[in-house]
Amino acid sequence: MEGEATVVYNVFHEPPLGLPIAIYFYMTGLSAGSFIMSTLAYGFGIKRYKPLGKVGVVLATLLLVMAPLNLIIDLGQPLRFWHLFPYLQATSPITYGSFLLTLYPLNCLVYGAFMFAGNMRLTTMFGRIGIPLAISVHGYTGFILALAKARALWNTALMPMYFLISAMVSGIALMMLVVVIKSRFFTPERKVNRELAFDLGRMLAWTIVLDLFLVLSDVLVLLTADSEAREAAMLILTGKFSPYFLGVELLAGSLIPVLLLLLPFTARRLPAMLVSSVLAMIGVFAMRYVMVIGGQSVPLS
Amino acid sequence: MSGPRFAMVIDVRRCVGCHACAVACKSENAVPLSVWRGWLKIVEKGRFPNVSRPIIPLVCNNCANPICVRNCPTQATYQRQDGIVMVDPHRCIGCKYCIASCPYDVRHLNPMKKIVQKCQWCHHRVDAGLQPACVNTCPTGAMVFGDLSDPEAEVSRTLATHSVQVLKPEKDTGPQVYYIGADQTAMRTMGPVGGGE
Repeated sequence: MEGEATVVYNVFHEPPLGLPIAIYFYMTGLSAGSFIMSTLAYGFGIKRYKPLGKVGVVLATLLLVMAPLNLIIDLGQPLRFWHLFPYLQATSPITYGSFLLTLYPLNCLVYGAFMFAGNMRLTTMFGRIGIPLAISVHGYTGFILALAKARALWNTALMPMYFLISAMVSGIALMMLVVVIKSRFFTPERKVNRELAFDLGRMLAWTIVLDLFLVLSDVLVLLTADSEAREAAMLILTGKFSPYFLGVELLAGSLIPVLLLLLPFTARRLPAMLVSSVLAMIGVFAMRYVMVIGGQSVPLS
Repeated sequence: MSGPRFAMVIDVRRCVGCHACAVACKSENAVPLSVWRGWLKIVEKGRFPNVSRPIIPLVCNNCANPICVRNCPTQATYQRQDGIVMVDPHRCIGCKYCIASCPYDVRHLNPMKKIVQKCQWCHHRVDAGLQPACVNTCPTGAMVFGDLSDPEAEVSRTLATHSVQVLKPEKDTGPQVYYIGADQTAMRTMGPVGGGE
């Protein structure tokens, strides 16, 4: 650095994007993850995931109907939200979102309707159409952050992938929780579907491992890129956001679930499954929070 | 290039840190409490007795390649032919994505109108043949505003005959506010009062 320097006067504007945006990212992630889990049986015919089909599509649709409400509430002029369509700007990632957030829930409804009506051929078709939509509806949120080039924590090509993988983490964790609750309380046998829960547990563990690899890549590059990137890395490693990043996202939300799900003496125990799925979901929310709020707390002027 | 292309040169060596530019801007543009379209960043550096207090006047850079225009989802933010980056107050939905995208933190949400606003180089004055309020007010003549397409304009001559810097050139935004004699510590030290290294 250039030696000692202290800011004695400056203007600091309030960070523009707040908690509703983090909640929105979290909900679309949960929705996309649930949808993809739902299509494993109904789009690709993997029989053992059949219990996820209906509950997956119901959750995916509900979450994606609620998610954009966060965006509209967050607008300064909520009643002008329709400007997004007639006046669209093709280069803005929010424009991709306007259309994806319209098409994806519609496709969810159609897919779900055919599933509940028992029309397997059309269910499979709309399930497969929904896969790229689900990936886009969550991938684009990564582009929203990555293309806002002012913020060092956001401006990385890893961001869409990081969002997608963490969306799968939260989606699988939600499905695990739902499968256990559903089979325990809402089936005639009242018996937990242990095999499916353990299967999802393994899937969750390896998705978290992939997510951790992306986090590691991101942080290592941030630490060596430039001064702003290093400052962003230090903010999440040692600064104000380190409890959320290191404590909640990495330790509680990733490492503990991976250990619980893979270590031999906990891997086939239901309480360990439930604890790890809840922790993983909390961890993904912490990731959204650290990214959205933390990303804006490195001053730009 | 056809038609004017406006730019600003700020000779920081002349700035005495009186904040008159910031006050004139507030008054001219009815900028509400808690937000600013232009202001001074003042930094202290060094150790006694070798110290200085560099200043950077900050306004919107009205970039040649503005990321806010690219990212605005409703085309509420647009660039005029003469380079001034505008916000259409009736079109803006207040999504604040432009604020998140701007590398210079010069945009703000109007706390009453709930739309995004910014320094527009007093386009209403410029269109009437006047100088922006800050330039007009500066008692030391540190700020020069004018048309780059006119080689005899003061702004063109100043740019051609001085070594200049811009803020964050690495962001590829093409800032059109050029500084003469700006201190790199002051340009690079970010943060609220008391922050920095």
